[in-house]
This record gives sequence, structure tokens and C-alpha cells, in this order.
Amino acid sequence: MEGNSYTLTSAMRSNMILLDYCKTSMSALSGFTAGVIGLYGAYGFIFYFLCAFLVWAMILIRMGPNYKKYFHKRITIFTNGLGSGLFTYVLFWTFLYGMVNVY
Amino acid sequence: MSELLLDTSIRAWVFLPIVIISFLFGILRHYVSILISSTKNIELHQVQDSQLLIRSRFLRENGKYIPKQSFLMRRHYLNNEETGYLKAGSRRPAQAPNPMSDPSMMTDMLKGNLTNVLPMILIGGWINWTFSGFVCTKVPFPLTLRFKPMLQRGIELMSLDASWVSSASWYFLNVFGLRSIYTLVLGENNAADQTRMMQDQMSGAAMAMPPDPKQAFKAEWEALEISNHQWALKNIENDFIGEKSNNQEVTPTS
Repeated sequence: MEGNSYTLTSAMRSNMILLDYCKTSMSALSGFTAGVIGLYGAYGFIFYFLCAFLVWAMILIRMGPNYKKYFHKRITIFTNGLGSGLFTYVLFWTFLYGMVNVY
Repeated sequence: MSELLLDTSIRAWVFLPIVIISFLFGILRHYVSILISSTKNIELHQVQDSQLLIRSRFLRENGKYIPKQSFLMRRHYLNNEETGYLKAGSRRPAQAPNPMSDPSMMTDMLKGNLTNVLPMILIGGWINWTFSGFVCTKVPFPLTLRFKPMLQRGIELMSLDASWVSSASWYFLNVFGLRSIYTLVLGENNAADQTRMMQDQMSGAAMAMPPDPKQAFKAEWEALEISNHQWALKNIENDFIGEKSNNQEVTPTS
């Protein structure tokens, strides 16, 4: 038991869905960026995790100290959708990298 | 940067069209499946069962905010040995629906196959046939030789570096990578997600079956039986009145 929290599951889930949208946009846009500037190899993956971390930090700053109103744990905001976001990231990275740097 | 020079018309006529086709095709699938899907009519007792389960969960979670007698009354209604809803429900014989005897289920399955499997084979085959044999692009990270059959489908070149991607494999990369984009564009629970359908088929018929209410009732009955009443608002009057005058005498509730 954590405090006297009364949580509404549907609201929690809609928060998670919104977070998912946020993550997808982040991975698509960071994939675009990485492709255009032509990152290669491990730098690209480092860039992805850097972007994910940055978005996490931004969300945390936006929520401030009362993050418990919206999410259970802080770390889930970071880890949620990290793997599926990587797929999207790699796709857009490959796409733009191919468009700009290969041809 | 690249040791292999590709014709720019490959970019214009193979690379880009595959991305656009796979994206638009996902959108199309979504709307077609909305068009031909039939509304599921739910049995009344199923709704009753699920609402009762939700109610029991609420009682377990938030029962501390109601007086003990009310809590026990509610628990008795759900849990008592003879007529309690959860007890009676778990004694009820489970009827597993047979998909072969139910005609509406059969048409549902047929429609599912029509929108999922058939177009995937068609489009995959068409992409394979139309755009076969092109070296499309290069993944921006080095890969080992093990990835060659995965990424260079349709090209049998021993000397080619493993990070080059053929057109057929580029299509599959798109299929897997665009799924979260569909979520963004079409909203949650869209039908464009081919990969989810593939997962459903792999896990077999167990997914299609509705969960057995008997098991759920039994689990909920056990959980409710062991949950005790802890009155969370014990000193609430003192807290409200005493906070202003004498803070020391009042014990904090939580």
C-alpha cells in the first residue's frame, strides 16, 4: 500500500496512451534528425537514448513534484515504450539516412 | 561514405514507393475493417458478471472508506456460501462456446481472415514481384553476416556487405516499424497493425476464447474473502475539529 491513493484505472490508462503518443513522436522525430545528420553505428543508438532521456526529463519538469497524481512511478515514464520506440526510430533513421547519405 | 553507388531512380521508384505503399495500405486496412466489421452483441449475463467483478474489486480497494457494517454487508452479498454472487457464479457450469456451431462467430473469423491474412499475402507477394532484386538502402549501423538472409531477401550476393537492405526486406522493416505510427495517426486499437494479428494467430485459438468466468469468480472470491476491513477514517472527527485547537492530542490517522 502506498499512502491513501485512490487511483482511477481508466484515467491512468489514458495517461499511458498519451505518453505513448509522446514517445512515438519523439522516436520518429529523433530518427529523422539522426538520419539527416548522418549518424552511424553506435552514435545513433546513443542519440536515441539521449533523446528518450531528454523527453523523460522534460515530462518530469513539466509535472513537477506532484507526479504521483499522474503516474505511479517515475521510472515507468522512461522505460514505457522504449523498445517499440526503438523500432520506429531505426526505421526513420534508416529511411532518412538512405535518402540523404547513401544515394 | 558508401562504397556502392546506387542509381537515384531506385530512390524515386523503389525506395520511396515502398514506404508510401506500406503506410497507405495500413490506413486502408483500418477503414476496410471498420466497414465490414459487425457489432458484437453481448449477452446480458456477461455484462452482469463483469460489472459484479468490478464492483468486488472496488470494494476490496476502497472498502476502508465505508463503515465496517457496510463493508461486511457488501462482502456477504458477494461472498456468502449459499447465495453469494461470486460463489454461485463459480458453481455455475461453464459453457465453452463452440466456434463451429455458432454461425456469427464463423463469419467473424472469415472476415478477420479476409482483412488480415489475404491482403498481407497479396501485398507482400506483389511487392516481392514488382520490386524484386533491388538493393534499396543501407542500414546506418554495421551488422554481422547472420543478418544477411533477413535483410537481403531476394539478393544472393556473397560479397555484399550485410548492412545493405533489399527491397523486399525494406518492406518488412516498414511493416514492423510503422505500427506505432499507426497508433499515432489512427488512434488506439486500430486494425492497421498487421504484426499484432500475426501474434494472435501464433498464440492460437486460446486468445479468441472469452476468459472463463468461473476462474475469475473463484479468484475474486478468494481475494475478497481474505481482505479485511481497516477503517481509514477512524479519527476523522477529531482531526477536523482538533486540528485548530490542540494539535498535540490528536493522533494522526495515516
